Amino acid sequence: MKQTALSLPALRGVVESMSDDGLRPAREAALRSLDTRGLPTLRDEDWKYTDLSSAIAISNQWLKNGAPAASDDLQGSIDEITAAVAANWLIVANGVIDDTRFTPGDAIDVERFSATTAPIVADRALADLNVALLQDGLRIRVHATPERPLGILVIDSANDAAAVSQANIEICVSDNCSAEIVEYHASVGEGDHYANTIVSLDTGYRSQVGYTRIQNRRIGHVFTGRISAALGTDSTLDMANYDIGGGLVRNDVDINLAATGAAANFNGLYLVGDNQHIDNHTSVEHRVGPAVSSQEYRGILNGSCRAVWNGKAIVFEGADGTDATQANHNLLLSERSEIDAKPELEIYAEDVKCAHGTTVGQLDETALFYLQSRGIDKMQGRQMLTHAFAVDLVSRTPVDATRDAVNALVSARLEELIRVQAQ
Amino acid sequence: MLEIENLHSQIGGTDILRGLSLNVNAGEVHAIMGPNGSGKSTLAQVIAGHEEYVVTDGSVTYKGADLLSLDPEERARDGIFLGFQYPVEIPGVNNAYLLKAAMNAKRKHLGLEEIDAFEFLKLAKERMAMLGMDPKFLNRGVNEGFSGGEKKRNEILQMAMLEPSLAILDETDSGLDIDALKAVAEGVNSLRTPERAIVLVTHYQRLLDYIEPDFVHVLSEGRIVRSGDKSLALELEDKGYDWVREAANG
Ligand SMILES: Nc1ncnc2c1ncn2[C@@H]1O[C@H](COP(=O)(O)OP(=O)(O)OP(=O)(O)O)[C@@H](O)[C@H]1O
Ligand SMILES: [Mg+2]
Repeated sequence: MKQTALSLPALRGVVESMSDDGLRPAREAALRSLDTRGLPTLRDEDWKYTDLSSAIAISNQWLKNGAPAASDDLQGSIDEITAAVAANWLIVANGVIDDTRFTPGDAIDVERFSATTAPIVADRALADLNVALLQDGLRIRVHATPERPLGILVIDSANDAAAVSQANIEICVSDNCSAEIVEYHASVGEGDHYANTIVSLDTGYRSQVGYTRIQNRRIGHVFTGRISAALGTDSTLDMANYDIGGGLVRNDVDINLAATGAAANFNGLYLVGDNQHIDNHTSVEHRVGPAVSSQEYRGILNGSCRAVWNGKAIVFEGADGTDATQANHNLLLSERSEIDAKPELEIYAEDVKCAHGTTVGQLDETALFYLQSRGIDKMQGRQMLTHAFAVDLVSRTPVDATRDAVNALVSARLEELIRVQAQ
Repeated sequence: MLEIENLHSQIGGTDILRGLSLNVNAGEVHAIMGPNGSGKSTLAQVIAGHEEYVVTDGSVTYKGADLLSLDPEERARDGIFLGFQYPVEIPGVNNAYLLKAAMNAKRKHLGLEEIDAFEFLKLAKERMAMLGMDPKFLNRGVNEGFSGGEKKRNEILQMAMLEPSLAILDETDSGLDIDALKAVAEGVNSLRTPERAIVLVTHYQRLLDYIEPDFVHVLSEGRIVRSGDKSLALELEDKGYDWVREAANG
């Protein structure tokens, strides 16, 4: 299959037209790297299920129009989201940082990439694209335990023309701190949109981080997002990922366990319906032991759609005392839904405990009849059973302030999914 | 209340019920006994509306109307309750949530308002106390990890909350300890009114000591081969099923 190529001359033109700020050298380096590395194609093992053609086509369209445009007023949507989740919000709207809703306090320092000299890392193709087109990034340091969760809202609009946006955020949680973080993705508008986000998270010695990631982009919009977390000694990362919307979505969660006593517990729920393709790639590198990682992803699919779960865990030589578990369970409500579930374990250490399991199942007809025999109609019964499949993951959001919002989003989306009768 | 005429039913292409007829009037308690595999649960499932059981002949009339054309949920809302021989575990669906949803489905059908949360809880606790159930069971998944006896009690709790017109209890007495049996019997007897009817499927005379039936029927090979009063159950305990089968054939 021939994949559309990104138009590099147009990209170069746009990069050159961007403001002459501290990011310029990084943008140019990224551009050069993109020139040699190119964007991933279906031939890359990591990308064989997810075709970025539409992201590239949208980018080319946008570049051709001389980018960037999209300055639609997003305040209404931002109001809604920030009201639903009580947090201290930093916003990236159409790729532009907006800190007007953020209350600076003693616990959190925020700087822009353009205001510092720290290097900007672009270690892979989508990061190249991100940095090349980055208007600015956020460098956040949590150096005490904040009272409120830190919220990061990445929101975009595409009303008339195709649009593309980048967000790049570095978060560092200092030693002995506890932090709750919400990463929220949303988009509006009938036009084509492609958003590409990079988050890197560093957790300090004995820090504890609760991290909830909600992706509720418009169905039809394209999203690629990566979070790379490096865990410090005896630190804990508790994470939940919710994919509610989006058209073509690719999430990469990379966990680096290079310090002893670290524990990463991350879970995900994806609700997938017509015209959606949701790909979750997770990767855990157990570089030392003892350290723990556990993940459970669950998916509910109905209609013509596809989901991918690829869970990689590498236990390096000498990482004794590693405990790694991964699970992926899927509920397929339609014959037109497709799931590719793949655990990948590579173990080079001696004393390790590893377990994985994947399941794909249908709705339990016996349970459905039992509910009917109690007066519950089929539609409501299906709702109850699919909700039951998801509820455990809903309850696992580590950020309390997101609990109601997650519950509402999941319930509403499930109701939509079920109304499309299973085929 | 329930008239079954010449009912034939099959599952997976195999004939199970072969010309079964039975009349149950309001106010009556019927016990159905019979050897394993004779079709007792099949009968119960057909009445509840399980779609895997295909009715090939005969009719079932409930409250004067054709029952077989109704969906299972419509039958339930219209007052039919089946206590399952094997209650289904539904992890993730809260027991209280199901109870409330079931009650509200019925109330909606009757043109009533949804039950008030406080009223519901009060009623549930009252019925649970009668059945000797810990209120903690309200917050567990439906039958999730319940012991055999706990599942049966939970069926009776649902029945007691839904107050059906026609309750069919499929071996609800199996697997119960003596205290549970008494509690379940009390639950059933409390529903015994002139407007309601109860059909008990059982293998044991013991249950009938606590819930005295008006009629006892013996089901064999998909047909009722003998009917009588409660003394028939005693006679069966004494002589076994061969006696009935021989009598039926001879
Ligand atoms: N899917 C099926 N395909 C074929 N035969 C079936 C199927 N399901 C049930 N049967 C058969 O139907 C017959 C009647 O079963 P049923 O469960 O009604 O018996 P029962 O009288 O309730 O028995 P028990 O006392 O053991 O509960 C049995 O012989 C059973 O094996
Ligand atoms: Mg049976």
